[in-house]
Amino acid sequence: MTFEINGQEHTLDIPADITALEVIRSLLGLTGTKEGCGIGECGACTIVVDGKSVNSCLMLGAQLDGTKVLTVEGLATEASLAPLQEQFMKNHGVQCGFCTPGILMSTHALLEENPDPDTEEISKALAGNLCRCTGYQQIFASVKAAATASRDDRITGGKNG
Amino acid sequence: MKSEYNSIGKNIQRRDIVEKLTGQANFCADIALKDALSLKVLRSSRHHAVIDKIDVSDALKIPGVVNVFTAADIPGKNLMGIINKDQPLLAHDKVRSLADPVALVAAQTDEIARQAIKVINVTYTDLEPIFDIEAALAPGAPKIHKKGNTLFTRRIKKGDAGTAFETCHTIIEKKYMTHAVEHNYIEPDAGAGYVDEDGTLVIYASTQNPHYDHKEVQGFLGLKDDQVRIIQAATGGGFGSKLDLNVQGFIGLALYHLKQPVRYVYTREESYLATAKRHPFTIHMKTGADKNGKLKAIHIRAYCNTGAYGSYGIAVASRSAVHGTGPYEIDHVDIECACIYTNQPFCGAMRGFGAPQMAFAHESQMDLLAKKLGMDPMEIRMLNGFKKGSINGTGQQLIDSVGYPECLEKIMPYYEEALTNWVTEKTTPFTKRGIGIGGMWYGIGNTGVQNPSTARIELDQNGRVILYTGCADIGQGSSTILTQVAGEVLGIAPEAIQLVVGDTKFTTNAGATSASRQTYISGNAVKDAAEQLARVLLTEGANKLKVSKTALSFGDHSLQIAGHPERSVAFDWLAKRIHEKGVSLSWQGYFDPETIPLDLETGQGSPYATYAFACHLALVEVDVLTGQVSVKKIVAAHDVGRAIHPENVIGQICGGVAMGVGFALMEAFEFGKTLSMKDYHIPTCADMPEVIPIIVESVEPTGPFGAKGVGEPALIPTAPAILNAVSHALGKRLYSLPADLESVLQASIDSGHFGPEEKM
Repeated sequence: MTFEINGQEHTLDIPADITALEVIRSLLGLTGTKEGCGIGECGACTIVVDGKSVNSCLMLGAQLDGTKVLTVEGLATEASLAPLQEQFMKNHGVQCGFCTPGILMSTHALLEENPDPDTEEISKALAGNLCRCTGYQQIFASVKAAATASRDDRITGGKNG
Repeated sequence: MKSEYNSIGKNIQRRDIVEKLTGQANFCADIALKDALSLKVLRSSRHHAVIDKIDVSDALKIPGVVNVFTAADIPGKNLMGIINKDQPLLAHDKVRSLADPVALVAAQTDEIARQAIKVINVTYTDLEPIFDIEAALAPGAPKIHKKGNTLFTRRIKKGDAGTAFETCHTIIEKKYMTHAVEHNYIEPDAGAGYVDEDGTLVIYASTQNPHYDHKEVQGFLGLKDDQVRIIQAATGGGFGSKLDLNVQGFIGLALYHLKQPVRYVYTREESYLATAKRHPFTIHMKTGADKNGKLKAIHIRAYCNTGAYGSYGIAVASRSAVHGTGPYEIDHVDIECACIYTNQPFCGAMRGFGAPQMAFAHESQMDLLAKKLGMDPMEIRMLNGFKKGSINGTGQQLIDSVGYPECLEKIMPYYEEALTNWVTEKTTPFTKRGIGIGGMWYGIGNTGVQNPSTARIELDQNGRVILYTGCADIGQGSSTILTQVAGEVLGIAPEAIQLVVGDTKFTTNAGATSASRQTYISGNAVKDAAEQLARVLLTEGANKLKVSKTALSFGDHSLQIAGHPERSVAFDWLAKRIHEKGVSLSWQGYFDPETIPLDLETGQGSPYATYAFACHLALVEVDVLTGQVSVKKIVAAHDVGRAIHPENVIGQICGGVAMGVGFALMEAFEFGKTLSMKDYHIPTCADMPEVIPIIVESVEPTGPFGAKGVGEPALIPTAPAILNAVSHALGKRLYSLPADLESVLQASIDSGHFGPEEKM
């Protein structure tokens, strides 16, 4: 099968019974995506497939064929963190960090689709991502700050353009 | 007001943040070791049985199985436990629970290892299993351990409670129950290891206490200090469970025999089965007050079910007994808390060590007393709450940092506003609103025992500062705040300090990341190390600049004459000079909090050097038709001494509240039934209320820059506040946790669906 992950195309022969998570972690060595439960309850394995956030532990590897995938490794450039990551840093949205990649993926997909979400929309996007450390408040602050920063950028961009 | 500090109180960038945001942080399951074998444990199929025979011959025939180990393959001492050693790494004579490991398979893949454990044939002779405390304490009950089924009893006796109750105006006597709870950190337990070129067993661990792991693994294998090295990998939460060994011992045993890289990653299901839980408690509490609401006497008989092994059970019994009075002055105290063995999988440390269970009881009692006496819940807490000079149940006077009154004062305006306006707002006919208060105190560090920390600070020849600490950062941010402490002493930016954390080859013991102790105890050890280095620097700086040491101040990696930054000498120059003189550039810091052990009969002593205090206010809505409790807001005031990193403190408070919401309303681990995450629910973001954290700084003179701790205190008052609020809403009290849908609905039905006639 052939698919694109973080901008790089891969062609792989894979066993029929392995999950997308196993493809990403074991075959491609992209260990930023985590396994927390293996049954789609915790969201630690969330990746973005063709713009939608999905639990990669519930997806068959073969289903990746022909898709464009984003994992946490694909967010930052060599030069800088992505704006969403910057806001998680500034707003203290990370403690142990194990749920963080999945949470970044869910909120990245949200912000791509809806750049200005309200609290309820963020809550809906994050309801499948469990975090045991933060109580979510600083995560919400991070996501809101990322939305605000992107809105400010758009406004400034508009004025300047 | 400008802060007097450069680093303390600043929200600096978390040390490991970039790695965690980019997926580069290596948790144990992410560590790639070439040709690593997979490990898998066969666990007991019996609750309580003698092992007659273990036949591994069929497993060894499976292609890809490298070896199978049993207790007979353990060369050293096959027992573990940080307080009492009662738990075998692999069962040898008998099994005491379904979690007990019986054999360890090493195979080429996870799948082969899974197949292998299925064909290991164990012959057992069953013994009578015991699951609850009553059965364990019944006369003639089978003994789970040779010494019997009572592991430990902590007694706290002060004054004459029996006589004092006779003079009380109002007495409340109730029974409270709490459930087993799973820590449910998002990273399932895992580890990996290899044997290095010197023959040292190198083990990556997801741990809260790498130096303890080191000693235990050494003990199992009969190896010397330097033959085992534990490296703490990025650790995805702990909350107490990663104080016990999870896979370190298995990895060590396999490395010892196979000399080949191995890894062991628990599935979530194995993590649920094999690791500790929060102790379920049964608490009989009797509290008496005079007619003015002044508490006079308390009598508590509490039992915690520790399952098959002690783990931290002794600490849980001890701490819960000490904290049984709540943050209140009571002259006459009679408390006993017993920790009992059963054949459930073992319970151990979980955020608060029994104090959260006890707080549910004592805070319910306070509201019940207030109601009976016609007092306001805040008023009775204000009247009885600890203040400077108060004497607690152990006879210890609280002298300096006692911020409970201030926590209550900070909560008061929110309480009054909610009581006056929010509770009375019109809602749907089937929605009842209520508010509740939860108070708590929490001793920082281990209970009545010495629990020192050490740290080392080094200045290299280039003038760089390196901090070595055995203190495991499990996400709470200790690495960051320890650099703030060192940076403050040495006048350098915390970010400029290089850090070596939790690697037993390089670091020294900082004790466990538990008991909310690392900020206070390891913070002080780091401060001590930094101050020793500072003294040496000052001496050499004074020599060079030809002024007295008191005229010097620290600048950016330099010493300067205060007010004359142009007259300075850089750290690198000083480092070279100090080294030339044969003086060390590496300094060890040490701190052990002042405690006095508790008397075994009376529990009198001085169990902790300092205490944190907190008060939470909960605003809840109860749907009387469904039993659904919706927590709308938690206002959380915490006396932390000094917030070294306020955003980290807020992170602890918000995270603690979340865990408290789970403890209050939804979390119940049912042994044998809770198998995976579909059976166990922790709060999602949709379950969370708005949290208003309030930091109170009642400076602790013995703390590093006044700091105490906050990790466990954050959780403790939440459930009591929520339960008191539910009771306020319904006019009906719940005495058992969690207050899940069914029990709240029953309470709602019992209260006639229409709530109380009058608010208490």
